[in-house]
Amino acid sequence: MTVADANAEIDVSRLEELADVILPAAHGMPSASEVNSIAAYLDQVLDWRGDLRQPLARAVAALEPSLFTVDRLSSLHQDDEDAYVALTTAVAACYYLSPVVREQIGYPGQVAKTYDPYSYTEWVAEGLLDPVMERGPIWREAPE
Amino acid sequence: MTYRADVLVIGAGASGGVAARHLAEHGFDVVCLEQGDWPDRSAFPGTRPDWELAIRRDWAMSPNVRNRPEDYPVVHDDSDIEPLMYNAVGGSMIIYAGTWPRMLPSDFRVRTLDGVADDWPIAYQDLVPYYDAIDRQIGVSGLAGDPAYPPHDDYPLPPLPLGVAGRRVAEGHNRLGWHWWPEPNAILSAPYDGRRPCVQRGVCTSGCAEGAKASTDLTHWPKATAAGARLITGARVSRITLGPQGLATGAVWLDRAGVEHHQEADVVILAANAVGTARLLLLSADDRHCPDGLANSSGLVGRRLMMHPFSVVTGWWDDQVEGWQGHFGASITSYQFYETDPSRDFVRGAKWALSPVGGPLNHILPMRAGNEVWGADHHELMGRTFGRGASWAIFGEDLPEESNRVELDPDRADSHGIPAPRVSYRISDHSRRLMAFQEERAAESLTASGCQETAVASMIPYSGWHLMGTARMGENPANSVVNSRQQTHDVPNLYIADASVFVTSSGVNPTCTITALALRTADLLVQRRSEQKVPA
Ligand SMILES: Cc1cc2nc3c(=O)[nH]c(=O)nc-3n(C[C@H](O)[C@H](O)[C@H](O)COP(=O)(O)OP(=O)(O)OC[C@H]3O[C@@H](n4cnc5c(N)ncnc54)[C@H](O)[C@@H]3O)c2cc1C
Ligand code: SF4
Repeated sequence: MTVADANAEIDVSRLEELADVILPAAHGMPSASEVNSIAAYLDQVLDWRGDLRQPLARAVAALEPSLFTVDRLSSLHQDDEDAYVALTTAVAACYYLSPVVREQIGYPGQVAKTYDPYSYTEWVAEGLLDPVMERGPIWREAPE
Repeated sequence: MTYRADVLVIGAGASGGVAARHLAEHGFDVVCLEQGDWPDRSAFPGTRPDWELAIRRDWAMSPNVRNRPEDYPVVHDDSDIEPLMYNAVGGSMIIYAGTWPRMLPSDFRVRTLDGVADDWPIAYQDLVPYYDAIDRQIGVSGLAGDPAYPPHDDYPLPPLPLGVAGRRVAEGHNRLGWHWWPEPNAILSAPYDGRRPCVQRGVCTSGCAEGAKASTDLTHWPKATAAGARLITGARVSRITLGPQGLATGAVWLDRAGVEHHQEADVVILAANAVGTARLLLLSADDRHCPDGLANSSGLVGRRLMMHPFSVVTGWWDDQVEGWQGHFGASITSYQFYETDPSRDFVRGAKWALSPVGGPLNHILPMRAGNEVWGADHHELMGRTFGRGASWAIFGEDLPEESNRVELDPDRADSHGIPAPRVSYRISDHSRRLMAFQEERAAESLTASGCQETAVASMIPYSGWHLMGTARMGENPANSVVNSRQQTHDVPNLYIADASVFVTSSGVNPTCTITALALRTADLLVQRRSEQKVPA
């Protein structure tokens, strides 16, 4: 990657338009721009994943927003797989970083939980394993 | 001038850590050379918001994608499965899932029982004391009494939670009359040996920051070094050296700056995994004594690579089960279709392990089962499936074939200029029949468990986490590389501790057996110390 590649310019307003086609408002969910996802999170995403910048810039340059439909994604996939992966990854990553979106899909992130490690005795006592035990051994004897 | 160690271990992963600790605790002067570093748990990405982005690049399972200086490229253009691994103290255990099943008695006798491949020169019973010992060293959580196994010692810790999905599938299997059992995992369900228990965050395959998931950097290396073992990190071995008596004299290694060193030793143990060990034996060829590679008079070094064809069958319920959460690892397992059934068009079988399915990015940019869907339909799909699923991970027994192999690549090299391994591997027609059968049954399992919808990701390429067979064990030097003590036939002071020695793959995750074998090899070295041939 050259320095120029690493700093490849991305036309953010064009990307926002594309993102709204990839993730429009539908089925009770907001569109990418309704949660401001590109403006709020793109820098962060590209900071984490600098390798996406150059192919993302390529994807944004290649797709004309006024003509863009999701069907066009499959030809991008065929023509330039890295650009396709960068575009879909960046758009989805920005969207699912939004607390509004996370709240709506019920995803709090990967969180720590506590549990009682001895609670298994309850489902054992309840008989959950009984049918398995009643059928007896299923392993195959083998000569030593 | 380096000093001469009693034992040089190459690789500080699962097998290397176990062997080094046992030898050091029994008075051997041990040196280990490891190309990676000590892992920094504070750098693990699982608690960060960029976790799902990191696992696609800097924390990928593939060394080719991570591309760190300590990784070596694995050329796999000619392979149906991509080999995956991690290079650090702890080895691939840093990113493994932690499921910890033993192999079964029939796994050691497939030629006798099923007329395929070869029997092992050892039996299940030979490993039982080592399985029991390794479970205690590792801190395994599980429940004894599984009727899929001969009776054995109880696990040191109670089983991990079943979770909502595990419970539903258990009930589904009870309805079908099919086997299930809580999976034994090398993950703590309660505090053990100074380590904290699992918090169910579900990020195990990008490193467990809690330290609940066992890896030898936690379970073995601190004890090995306390017993006097010397672990040198950033030390990449380029070849094993051979002396005039046909004995190994040590190994040449390069430090991070590329400066060459030689470590002398009385005994050398290779523990670099089935790709790394085969690579090193081939790199150690010398025109006069072993033009085709060290310990390779049988011609089998690098051959018979097995990687377990791997399919994922995911099912989705019509309500939330927090499908992103829980150890990864497995909650429950099934051996219903593990043993041979003569009515099927294949022999042997597969083990199933029920796992979570990850967060939103993994859902919509799947590395396992599922489709990418964009536009309005994206939200419909997410609403219907996100957080509502669980996956059966299916590991099919992979029968050895000599054409599946590791060689040296003439063009690619690692960051020190050492030739990279090249893997050629094809999934056989037999495996395809076996996996097709298992996939169909797994979909039935999830439907019987109440799932509204199922999807199969069949024999996915990004799944070479189990590397086995490239220096097989056997008593005949003409058709095996090591004997039943894992000593190479050709070089009596050269041993192999990792899964290169596997004769067959079984259908279970290998690391419990790798570490039990490594412990046995080290133990037999201790017992036979006075008989060991060493260089003058
Ligand atoms: C994503 C993933 C998930 C997995 N899940 C499971 C699971 O749930 N259950 C299970 O049983 N197994 C699992 N495995 C497999 C498990 O991690 C391996 O079986 C196990 O770690 C192999 O042990 P090993 O000692 O053979 O090699 P490794 O643990 O791979 O260690 C080899 C070490 O050797 C070092 N090395 C290699 N070459 C050189 C050299 N030239 N010089 C110096 N050092 C060198 C490497 O850096 C590495 O640290 C998984 C693996 C992966 C990648
Ligand atoms: S789920 Fe448990 S084992 Fe896995 S990373 Fe979290 S704490 Fe570690």
